[in-house]
Amino acid sequence: MFFRKSKPQSDQKIPTIMQRRWRKFKSLKRGYLAFRVLSIAYLLSFCLPILVNNQALMISYNGQWAFPAVRAFFVELPIVGLIVSSKTYQGVTFGQENNTSECRYRDLKVQYQQQGQGNYVIMPLYPYGPRDIVGAEGVKEDVFSKPLASTSDGGFRLFGTDDSGADVFSKIAYGFNISISFALLLSLIEYLIGVPLGAALGYLGGKFDMFMQRVIEIWASLPLLFLIIIIVSMTKPSFGLLLFLLSIVGWVGITTYMRAEFYREKAKDYVAAAVSIGIPTWKIMIKHILPNSLVPLITFFPFTLIGGITALVSLDFLGFGLPPGTPSWGSMISIGLDHINDGYWWLTIVPLTAMFFTLMLTVFIGEAIREAFDPKVFSRLR
Amino acid sequence: MAVYILRRLLLAIPTFLGCTLVVFFIVQLAPGGPLEEEIRALKMGSGGEGGGISQQAGSVTALPQDAMDILKEYYGFDEPLWKRYPIWLGVYPRKIDRFLVVPGVARNIGDGKSVIVVQNGSNYTVADAANPTVPLEGWKVRSYKNDKGEQKLQIYKEKFSGILTLNFGKSHKYNEPVLNLIQSRLPVSIQFGIISLILTYTFCVYLGIQKAIRHGSPFDFVSSAIVFVGYSIPGWALGAVMLVVLGGGTGIGLFPLGGFQSQDYDQLTLLSKIGDRAYYFVLPTISFCIGAFATTTMLMKNSLLDNLSQDYIRTAFAKGLKERRVIWVHAMRNSVIPVAANFGHIIGIFLAGSYVIERVFNIQGIGKLSFEAALSRDYSILFTFTVITTSLSLIGSLLSDVILATVDPRIRFK
Repeated sequence: MFFRKSKPQSDQKIPTIMQRRWRKFKSLKRGYLAFRVLSIAYLLSFCLPILVNNQALMISYNGQWAFPAVRAFFVELPIVGLIVSSKTYQGVTFGQENNTSECRYRDLKVQYQQQGQGNYVIMPLYPYGPRDIVGAEGVKEDVFSKPLASTSDGGFRLFGTDDSGADVFSKIAYGFNISISFALLLSLIEYLIGVPLGAALGYLGGKFDMFMQRVIEIWASLPLLFLIIIIVSMTKPSFGLLLFLLSIVGWVGITTYMRAEFYREKAKDYVAAAVSIGIPTWKIMIKHILPNSLVPLITFFPFTLIGGITALVSLDFLGFGLPPGTPSWGSMISIGLDHINDGYWWLTIVPLTAMFFTLMLTVFIGEAIREAFDPKVFSRLR
Repeated sequence: MAVYILRRLLLAIPTFLGCTLVVFFIVQLAPGGPLEEEIRALKMGSGGEGGGISQQAGSVTALPQDAMDILKEYYGFDEPLWKRYPIWLGVYPRKIDRFLVVPGVARNIGDGKSVIVVQNGSNYTVADAANPTVPLEGWKVRSYKNDKGEQKLQIYKEKFSGILTLNFGKSHKYNEPVLNLIQSRLPVSIQFGIISLILTYTFCVYLGIQKAIRHGSPFDFVSSAIVFVGYSIPGWALGAVMLVVLGGGTGIGLFPLGGFQSQDYDQLTLLSKIGDRAYYFVLPTISFCIGAFATTTMLMKNSLLDNLSQDYIRTAFAKGLKERRVIWVHAMRNSVIPVAANFGHIIGIFLAGSYVIERVFNIQGIGKLSFEAALSRDYSILFTFTVITTSLSLIGSLLSDVILATVDPRIRFK
């Protein structure tokens, strides 16, 4: 089990409301299972460079060792990646003749086996990478190979390859990590803007509130996708830029929720009591009202996540998303639709299915959270 | 009520202005506008002579200054940035009928007329060439130095002409008035929008009621699963799957691969016209509906469930009313309130079309038109589309509030 149930220390202890909600959430089988599957899959997806990669895990060449995939693993980790620099090994370093560009490790493995000089290459579990495309000198059969098709070097392509010969399964796997990371960061930024702003508007009110209400109204009526398209098309698209653009769009929703929540809570007696004993305003807002308005924040979260994933996929699909070459679901769907008449069904179906399962799991989590936080029990008479 | 609506309409004005202002400036400031495109096209056309021979210092362009000025004036770029917005709105006069003139020389202004500019010290007057002593009304004269420092004299008339006078401008890509373009594209999008809206509401309200009545039954569970499947997949993505599986390419060929009518549509009889439309409408309509489907169904179900556990329902049952009557008359009246109020917010989304769905199904709707306009920086189309979507969204939210007050007798406007 992912989260082990802790034993209650004494029978008299009453669980806090958060503990009760967590227990309720765990009792909802579908949502809790979805939560475990999704979080394990996401944590696992950080290990992708050593699980699904066209770079070798380990190379032993004339007594020297190299670990390109392990290095890639550290480079792609969130914070560690800032310290470790990436490095591409040239083919000639490992005895691949006339190859001064990046080493083709799968060919190298075959080469070493044929030479039989004690050199060896250990490849990851699934030896195909997302950016591993067929070059000018590559094998033509590797483009548009069907799902489960075997390759010339004895492996197989789980979900086939696309128009440039890149492996669909590895693109899906890496795209999963990018999609979830993007959506998580986006939701985090939206919350960081929306919560304090909404709280200030709801609690302080006044002219500032009036003004910001108009701003929010304007923001909500803007054709934002067009503005994003225009801004993206005149600059170089990147992960950070998209994150920035979508978050200056996305804060409105959460601000509105928080404002309503603070506005309602402000009128309650406990706030009046806190004011009357002279607690400073910021303390009332953070320590007293905020914990009471957490419910919509938490129930809202899975749905902001879904919004983030869908927004990124849509922008990628339209060609205004992540830079070309990044493994992303939207661009994969776009490639698939370009070849819709040619019978390459897996190019469309596989990324759509991946997106569908991810979003569905998130919806299940969201529903379970909502149910766990909702004290209402429906009962009816007949 | 009338006062409330009037007040809301007045409040909508600053929002409308703010919204169009933001779009206007972002789009105008973005590089790659029609002017740059035109200059590039002209340079390409005369590129054979080799651009390196431009002798003027500081000027990179090989275009003649006069041609540049005419282009700039055509797109309104000769005005400073802050003036362009009021001109576009139609609250600041737009310069029309501009002609470069030389004092004392007659200038043909079309329609067989010609004018002459008479210099009088530092003042200029415009007169009919046939009768130079009588000044003509309405003409203004502007003396200015162009970017090369040459003294130029221009005559022009002024006219209030902008979106407030229903002048939406001309598309530079299609070289056609924007209104004509929108008129030819809007019906398709609106047809999809209205059909989807009707289908969504009839189906979702009914399904929501059934789910609430049979809460916890296998029917409820299965339909919940289907509804969430629908929620998990964006409309356009579902459309793409359906195209692959059911479309004519790789699939079983049950439905066409896109478009919204057959090529021989005009020759069909009325009955087969309807059939043809339906045949092309099925897949896009499903894609359009799916977005609002889950939310509307669950809203209806939860709202009815909420009411069914209230005391007044218990009372109604206790006094011996039939279950049908309690649900359909007593509970329903209160349950449709949130669903009805949501109508206004949804209407804008449906009517403005969806560029992604229109792209997937290759429908020539307003969404696709404005998407392409955003790509080619077709200012007039983009701004008109902004006007349409902003108005729809403002009207929608007003409509929501009015509906809410109409169906819920407890809410009174003050």
